[in-house]
Amino acid sequence: MKKTKSIAAGASALFWLAVGILACYGATRLGLGSVTEPGAGFIFFWSGLILVLLSLVVLAESIRSSEDTVQEMGEMNWAKIALVLLSLLLYAYFLERLGFVLTTFVLLSFLLGWIERINWARSLAVASAAALACFAIFELWLKIRLPKGIFGF
Amino acid sequence: MLESLTSLAYGFNIALEPQNLLYCFIGVTMGTLVGVLPGIGPTATIALLLPATFKLNPISAIIMLSGICYGAMYGGSTTSILLNIPGEASSVVTCFDGYQMARQGRAGAALGISAFGSFIAGTVSIFGLILLAPTLAEFALKFGPPEYFALMVMGLTVVAYLARKSMAKALMMAVFGIILGCVGLDPITAKPRFTFGILELADGIGIAPVVMGLFGIAEVLENLGVLTKADVFTGKLKGLFPNREDWRRSIGPIARGSLLGFFLGLLPGVGAIVPQFLSYALEKKLSRHPERFGSGEIEGVAAPEACNNAAVGGTFIPLLSLGIPSNAMTAILLGALMIYGLTPGPLLIKNSPDLFWGVIASMYIGNILLLILNLPLIPLWVKVLEIPYSYLSSFIILFCLIGAYSLNNSSTDVYIAVIFSLAGLLMKKFAFEPAPLVLAFVLGPLLETALRRSLILSDGSLLIFLQRPISAGFILFAAVVLVAPLFSQIRLGRGLSEED
Repeated sequence: MKKTKSIAAGASALFWLAVGILACYGATRLGLGSVTEPGAGFIFFWSGLILVLLSLVVLAESIRSSEDTVQEMGEMNWAKIALVLLSLLLYAYFLERLGFVLTTFVLLSFLLGWIERINWARSLAVASAAALACFAIFELWLKIRLPKGIFGF
Repeated sequence: MLESLTSLAYGFNIALEPQNLLYCFIGVTMGTLVGVLPGIGPTATIALLLPATFKLNPISAIIMLSGICYGAMYGGSTTSILLNIPGEASSVVTCFDGYQMARQGRAGAALGISAFGSFIAGTVSIFGLILLAPTLAEFALKFGPPEYFALMVMGLTVVAYLARKSMAKALMMAVFGIILGCVGLDPITAKPRFTFGILELADGIGIAPVVMGLFGIAEVLENLGVLTKADVFTGKLKGLFPNREDWRRSIGPIARGSLLGFFLGLLPGVGAIVPQFLSYALEKKLSRHPERFGSGEIEGVAAPEACNNAAVGGTFIPLLSLGIPSNAMTAILLGALMIYGLTPGPLLIKNSPDLFWGVIASMYIGNILLLILNLPLIPLWVKVLEIPYSYLSSFIILFCLIGAYSLNNSSTDVYIAVIFSLAGLLMKKFAFEPAPLVLAFVLGPLLETALRRSLILSDGSLLIFLQRPISAGFILFAAVVLVAPLFSQIRLGRGLSEED
């Protein structure tokens, strides 16, 4: 267990190392400017460099000891999480195309009926009521413009 | 002092306008509600309500949003005491003795003393705010870019120092937050930076979608299938008014908790969570019966509850007088001020006295409202907790998505919220804390501008940060904070609970 933990910690450190290097690389392309006149990439370069150094520290820590560098989070249902994330990405994609009410209805039905396993009749009823209620509250009352999509609602 | 009181009277005039009173009421009620509900906190709620405030005048908006901040402190204690579940991270400590008191049939006294304690502390911190904020703002007029840069660096190192796990990891999050915060057009040359050709990123990544993802959706994802219906305390609540003995024992802890919370809350980077643990530890140390702590001592409820409330007032001082947020919650308030077209900083009090004094007076009114509302409404809050989490979770996700979208009417922001929810989940898994990231994210652009201006000012010499006494002081403090853990294994954040 400890070993997997330190591998996970090491992997996360490597990820941030890569992010730091990319930030530095991107920064040099933007132009660092000079110390007297810092350029557009100046802050990114130095932040990236600090990120690189810190990830090396964390990497060293993970090799040296396996002290609680990864949090115990209990059982997480990664398959469910992946499904929810996918549904949210699809929501973002269809929101402006199909309009708020329809996409929200589909998303809520999916979350309630499929993910939370509430019976379908109730899920569909709650989802449709909630989608319409949100539309009424945000669009009609608070005057926040929600996307209309091809159907006009 | 007299001038402050006149200004405060002016503030009450503004805060008592029917519209502002209504928004104050909405704010504190929302705050209490999210304080009660585990799984959504004040930070995400403020982000959520941000779009709804655009049509309001900035004063009403900030009155409502700050109501959420301190309202959540009241609500958080209710679930800690009745369910042993902290509704907010800043109510973790209240569980220790509060829940034990409830089990011994003294839930009413515990709830009562935490409400009264919070009220007293709220009052103390508001007076502190009145006395200190204008003075600090006056002083801060002397600040140039080097001082601001040094102050922000200090704030970020303090946040990292207070991290519960690895300080290096917290610093990494802070640095990454700066990088994210600076995405968008270069403030001087208008060159697009790390926008990857996405037009919407030219204005930078929005704070709302980031917070929605990190604090709102991520939390729901983590609890998917884990959180079921809470085991709600069903006994009848009686005796909400603490008796004379309760008061005698609590008044000292409330006073100490208020002062400690307020002064620690002042320091950039500290926030409301750490002071609460410290005040509990302090009371335990001062108590003649430290062994009884954890088994239902009223001191263990009174002190931390006073402390977290006072700390909220404290955190408003750097926000309103310097324009520097000290935790994720005030970071998003700073974002709100900027969206309303106000310039946070030492001139805010001078340029927008109606906002500053109006908000302060509203905090006082809000505290009274909370005291009046909170105790009789406790049965209602308990009912709220009976809403099955399976419904709640779906709605939290939906509101986060709406909040993310409506700020700029752009689905790019919805994508950003979704990406950050995954990031938030992974960060939790790998023990990276989101708070330093959010704070640095907001400070990033300010930090960059201050750094670049300082360097132009000094003709490229980094010594400018050490040659000016105020900035040298800040840098020195930051350096001590950075180096201290190397020499000592004892860090404040260690031993704190895993809650965030």
